[in-house]
Amino acid sequence: MVSPTQAQTQARTIARPAQRRQPRATSRRLRVTATQLTAAVGVTLVTLLILIAVFAPFIAPYDPAERVGRPFSPPSAEHALGTNDIGHDILSELIFGARISLAVGLTAGLITVVIGTTVGLLAGYFPRLGSILMRFTDVVLVLPFLPLLIILAAYLGRSLMNTVLIIGLLIWASTARLIRSQVMVISSQDFVLAARSLGATHRHIIIRHVLPQVMLLSIGEFVQVVGQAILLEASLSFLGLGDPLQKSWGTVLYWAQVRGAFLSPAWAWWVLPPGLLIGLATLGFALIGFTLEQRFNPRLRQR
Amino acid sequence: MMSNLERLVRFGIPFMLVLIFSMTAAAQTDRLRLGMTTGDEGTVGPYTYNSGDPGWNMLLLQYDTLYQLDADGVAQPWLARNLALSDDGLSFTMDLRDDVTWHDGEAFTAEDVAFSIDYFQQFLHPRWTRVVRPIESVEVLGDFQVRMQLSALTPSLELGIFSDVPMVPEHIWSVIGDPAEHTFTIEDNVGNGPYRLVEYAPDQFYRFQAYANYWAGTPQIDELVFIRYADMTGALAAIQANEVDMLVSSIPPEQADFLGMNPDLAVAQGPLFSTQMINFDVTRPPFDMPEVRQAISLAIDREDIVETVYLGQATLGNPGWVHPDSPRFNPDIATTYDPEAAAALLDEVGIVDSDGDGIREFAGAPFMPELLTPSDNALRIRIGDLVGEMLNAVGIGVQVEVVEGSILGDAVWPGFDVRQGRDYELATFGWSPPLQADPTRVASLVHSNPDIASFNLTGYSSPEMDALLDALNATNDSQRQQELLNEIQTLIAEDLPFIMILYPNGVYAYRPAVYDDWLFMTGQGIFHKLSFLPAAARP
Repeated sequence: MVSPTQAQTQARTIARPAQRRQPRATSRRLRVTATQLTAAVGVTLVTLLILIAVFAPFIAPYDPAERVGRPFSPPSAEHALGTNDIGHDILSELIFGARISLAVGLTAGLITVVIGTTVGLLAGYFPRLGSILMRFTDVVLVLPFLPLLIILAAYLGRSLMNTVLIIGLLIWASTARLIRSQVMVISSQDFVLAARSLGATHRHIIIRHVLPQVMLLSIGEFVQVVGQAILLEASLSFLGLGDPLQKSWGTVLYWAQVRGAFLSPAWAWWVLPPGLLIGLATLGFALIGFTLEQRFNPRLRQR
Repeated sequence: MMSNLERLVRFGIPFMLVLIFSMTAAAQTDRLRLGMTTGDEGTVGPYTYNSGDPGWNMLLLQYDTLYQLDADGVAQPWLARNLALSDDGLSFTMDLRDDVTWHDGEAFTAEDVAFSIDYFQQFLHPRWTRVVRPIESVEVLGDFQVRMQLSALTPSLELGIFSDVPMVPEHIWSVIGDPAEHTFTIEDNVGNGPYRLVEYAPDQFYRFQAYANYWAGTPQIDELVFIRYADMTGALAAIQANEVDMLVSSIPPEQADFLGMNPDLAVAQGPLFSTQMINFDVTRPPFDMPEVRQAISLAIDREDIVETVYLGQATLGNPGWVHPDSPRFNPDIATTYDPEAAAALLDEVGIVDSDGDGIREFAGAPFMPELLTPSDNALRIRIGDLVGEMLNAVGIGVQVEVVEGSILGDAVWPGFDVRQGRDYELATFGWSPPLQADPTRVASLVHSNPDIASFNLTGYSSPEMDALLDALNATNDSQRQQELLNEIQTLIAEDLPFIMILYPNGVYAYRPAVYDDWLFMTGQGIFHKLSFLPAAARP
């Protein structure tokens, strides 16, 4: 909970950032460099990922759905990462898999941020409704996440759409909490009071005054959630709860697991590369999200 | 110069270690550790074992049957010496061995045979009650002779009934009474087979001890220890790490080469009577047209599937249902792959691609049937994947759907009762070995009467087929049976009530230094009691 005094302090710091900058100039400069570095790494990773996804048909040596080699081939000149259990080129699978991972990440991220921001706005602006919405959010937040995900995935059936929906519907709660606390700060500010006393409707105030102020925070959240969703999609698919015939990084790992690659030398070209890709993609989004959060979340900026 | 001590350390100690290891390795031959990957088998008694394999084979280590399958899958006299049918085929006398004893020393007699058959008829057993139903009465003629009366002609006495039903001792089971009321312990497992169960730790292990007075000869290994693993991955790691000497279940195809690279392991491979097939609802248009079913069969390159999914470790599916290594196989039926002929057949029945999008139309709509595959069976997903690819190539826009096993079951075989119908277009499916092992059971797959055909999952019915099957069930003349089975296989291959894709091979990993005398039984694999008997005792 944010007390009114704390909120006012924060509001003031937002209004006058220059005052704070002066006394700690050196450390500030160092921090900027570190942040910039983080951002640069994140942006590079994500840009690469997007480029791979967009230009997949030009980069990939083969059609990932075509059987182009002997099953279980080790890496060779024709197949840089060997072939999978029915002779699909693993490198091509991974290149095209970037599309699925990105699509899932972006869609699930969008769902999460839309739900999270809406709930956060309503809960922060209308305190009474907020207490009800927040209890519900708490429930979503404390649900044992992976077991629920597994049950939902098994119950709803296997398709990419379901995977996206399940992820989106389960991870919005922390976004909602973050947005709500920020909305509470904003809606207790003078200009909101002024607007209200001038007879502005709640709808007008929320859309014209509150939303623009939390929008940047939402974007930061969105970027972080995309990374999280990519990781979750991979986990679900790896556990065999996605559509195993859809070529995502998680399903490449799934087939590696069910066809024994974890126990054989094939782990080096069939397990490690998709694992690294999932790790790097998640890292890229997390780093950008971290930078954005540093920038847009006044609570972090204050420290 | 090397000092003596140094020499001792450099050469002596390794030499001694090698000596010790080789001694322990030699001493291990009287104890074999077997890895299990399936569920717990209870106390492995007649009413407590769970799975058909390995549970049933673990049961038969302890209990003998009247007939026993030999290496070729043919029933040979075992506890019975012979079987003499009456002229009308409705009764027969049977002489029994007089040198068989139960594990507690009591003699095995004709009374036990009469008791066993009566017992399984009286107290419902999921497997044997149905099997012994045709036996109307058993009469004890002497200590080692019985006469049995049949209620109807039965096509397969030796294979279907007497190789399947174990004999139980009257002096134990008359005390047990109703099995549903009895709490079974391993002390109840008094059999007459080569081994007896001496220790059982639920979900952990079983220990079997050889029965020294076994009538056919003393078993080759004193002690069998079955160790349970949660899954195949764990068991494969265990055999690599020398925690077990053999895995009782067939290993996945991709593991055969990999385990074969380990110099301490050997891999035995041979035909298994399990099946991988494509089922369809033959009452649903357009699958009600035999031409469409033929086209689907012709469009599937079975060799490609065997090579790609099973890495060659399977036998091509024969359209006539029976495995080519079965003694009842009709060799005139060939497996054909001909996508052009498939396309021509589809054109012929008017399923053509009129809008040029690569997918044929049926009844005004694109012909895009759904092919269901079970999510818990990776190999079946891959079979579905490739079949979809091959059918797409002839213009059938198959959509491969991966669903939960239970959802597939509800669609293909609701309530495990074919009377409840079915709701699917195409589905990957497969049967376990017993159905293939006794080809006279084919009626249960393709007869139109659901009382006879409890496995007719595709809704197939044909008066011609029914007549052949009724004739088959009404004869126990082996020659006549073969003629009828040949005709039945021909008709199945023409009508295609289902499409056989392949028969997976049994692939078994074991440690030859510990035990190497495994017997591959056609259709059944290497884990069965004959593998542990001395060569002279095997039928």
